[in-house]
Amino acid sequence: MGEQSIKVENLVKRFGKGDSLVNVIDGASFSIDKGELVALIAPSGAGKTTLLMMIGCVEEPTSGTIYLGNEKVYENRWLTKETRKIRREKIGFIFQAHYLIPFLTVLENVTLVSQANGMSKKESEMIAMELLEYFDIADKANAMSSQLSGGQNQRVAIARALANKPEIILADEPTAALDSARSIAVVEMLKKIAVDQNVAIIMVTHDEAMYPLCDRILKIENKKVISSEI
Amino acid sequence: MVNLAQKDISHSLGKFLVTAMGVGMLLGIVLIMIGVYRGMIVDAKVLLGDIDADLWIVQENTLGPFAEASRIHQDLKDTIRVIDGVAKAEAMTFQNIQLPKSPKPIRVVAVGFDPNGDINPINPDRIVQGRGINHSHYEIVVSDNTGFLLNDIIHLGRDDYKVVGITHGSVSSGGDPLVYISLKDAQTLQFSYTNTRIRNDRERGIKSVNTPMVNAIVAKVKTGYSVDKVAQDIRRFKYKSVYTREGQKEILTKNLIEKSSKQIGLFTAILVVVSTIIIALIIYTMTLEKMKEIAILKLLGIPNSMIIKMIVQETLVLGFLAFIFGNMFSHFIYDKFPKRVVLEAPDALMLFVVIILASIFASFVGVKKVINADPATAIGG
Repeated sequence: MGEQSIKVENLVKRFGKGDSLVNVIDGASFSIDKGELVALIAPSGAGKTTLLMMIGCVEEPTSGTIYLGNEKVYENRWLTKETRKIRREKIGFIFQAHYLIPFLTVLENVTLVSQANGMSKKESEMIAMELLEYFDIADKANAMSSQLSGGQNQRVAIARALANKPEIILADEPTAALDSARSIAVVEMLKKIAVDQNVAIIMVTHDEAMYPLCDRILKIENKKVISSEI
Repeated sequence: MVNLAQKDISHSLGKFLVTAMGVGMLLGIVLIMIGVYRGMIVDAKVLLGDIDADLWIVQENTLGPFAEASRIHQDLKDTIRVIDGVAKAEAMTFQNIQLPKSPKPIRVVAVGFDPNGDINPINPDRIVQGRGINHSHYEIVVSDNTGFLLNDIIHLGRDDYKVVGITHGSVSSGGDPLVYISLKDAQTLQFSYTNTRIRNDRERGIKSVNTPMVNAIVAKVKTGYSVDKVAQDIRRFKYKSVYTREGQKEILTKNLIEKSSKQIGLFTAILVVVSTIIIALIIYTMTLEKMKEIAILKLLGIPNSMIIKMIVQETLVLGFLAFIFGNMFSHFIYDKFPKRVVLEAPDALMLFVVIILASIFASFVGVKKVINADPATAIGG
C-alpha cells in the first residue's frame, strides 16, 4: 500500500435546478496512491471529464470531500480561495489535444508554469531541458508548436505537465488523437513517469488496449465510481 | 519570466503593425485637426504681427476691418499723429478681391497702404523675390501661393498691376493669401464708383463725392507712454473705436475663430472617443481570438495578474505604436492641406497622454473577458 495522493469521499456533482436538475456524479468515493497510473473509464457523457475537473480544482463539486496529498482542499466548499495555486503547484494537466500556447516556443511552454510558481528562469529552463531530453525533443526547444508533429507536441505537453513537479497528473484522453503504436508509447511513458517521479496519474481513456498498461481501472457506473484491478 | 505580450505580439507582428497603422491614421487625423486649429491661430496673427501697430483706430462701435465693415476718413491719421504719445500713424485698407487667374480666380485679401508712409505692412523677411511697393500706383506684391510670378501683369478694376514682389507665408486671418497694393490703388478699387454708377446717381439726384476713406488707422505709441492711456485719449476725443494690439488679437483669435475652434475641438473629441472605441474593439477581438489560450493558461494555474498584464501591455503597445504611426502620417500629409496646419510637440504630447489613458480604459473590456473566462472551456472543442 503506497502513500495516498488523491482521496475522494461522497463526491456529488449536480447541474441545473428543479426539473432540469441532472445528477452527474452521485456519491463517488475512491483513492489513488502515489506512483499509480489509473484509467478512468465510462461511456460518453457519464461525467469522466467533470470528475477530472473537480479533482483538478477547476469545477466546483456540489458536495463531498477531496484530499490532494495530505491537504483537504474541498469539503462541501473550497477550503482555499487559491484553487489556481493548487493547480499550479500540485497538478499537471494533459489533454486530448496538446493545447500548447501557440505564441510561445517549446521551452517557454514547458517553463511557463514553474516560472509562475516563482522558480528562477535559469532553474526552470534547466528542468525543462532535462524533461525535453527525457522525451527526446530537446532539439526542438526553440521551435514553435506549429513546427512540430502531433506526437512531438503531445510529448511537449506531457513535459509541461511535469515541469512543476506535480503530485498528480490528470490526463484527459491523451491518446485519443494518436495511432495505436503512439498511444501505447505515450501510456508506457506515463506509467514510467508515475513510477520514476512518484506521481499519481488518472487517465481518461476509451481505448481498451490501454487498460493492461494501467495499475487499476476506475469505472463510473450508476453515477458512482467503482474500482477494479486489471 | 516570460513576457506573454511581447511573445504574442512577435508571433503576429504583421497583423499587429497593420492594426496599429490603421488606428495611427485615425490619430494622425486627430493631430491634423488640432494642427488646423493651430494654423488658424497663426494665420490670424500674421498680418497683426507684420503691421506691428500698437493701436487700431476704426469706425465707432465696430470691431474693426477683420470683423466687420469699418470706414473712416483718411485724414484722421493726421489728427491721430498729433495726439500726445503717438509716434506714427498710417491709414490702411483691407478688402477681399478676386485675382483673375485661369482656370478660376483666386480669392485674396488686399492690404492698401502708403508706400512712403511710416508703417509698412510688408514684413521684409517674407519677401522671397523682388521688392516691396515703391510707387503709388500699379504695383502689387503677392503671396507665393497665389501662383503669380514676378513681373506678371494682373488686371484689377480698370487698371493693370505689375507683380514687383513675392512673399512667403503671408495669409489673412481667414487663411486667404495676402496681396499688397498702394493705398491710392486700394481706395480706387474699394471706393471709386464706375461711370455708370456715377451717371445713375446723378439721375437720382445724388451727388457723388469720392471722399478718401480707409478701413483703419494704425498707430505706434512713443516709448514711455501707456498704450492704454493713449487709446483712451483717442476714444474720448475722436469718438472712434480703438483697439490695442492685444484687443485686436483677441477679436481675431477669439471672436472670429471661436466657433471654428469649438467645431474643431468637438470633432477632435469625437475622433478621440472613436479611436478609444476602435482600440477597445480591437483589444476585445484580439482577446476573443486568444480565449482558448487564456482558458488553458487559467487551467494551468497561471495567475490572472499575468494574463491581465499581457492584455494591458498589448493595449499600451498598440496605443503607443498607433501614436507613432499617427505622428508619421500627420507629418507626411500636413503640408498637402490648402490652409496652414501647425503640428506642435505639446499637442502631440497631450494626445499621447490621452491615447495612453484611452488604451488603459480600452483594455478593461479585454481584462473583463479574461476575469470571466472559464478555465473548463479549455477542454474539448
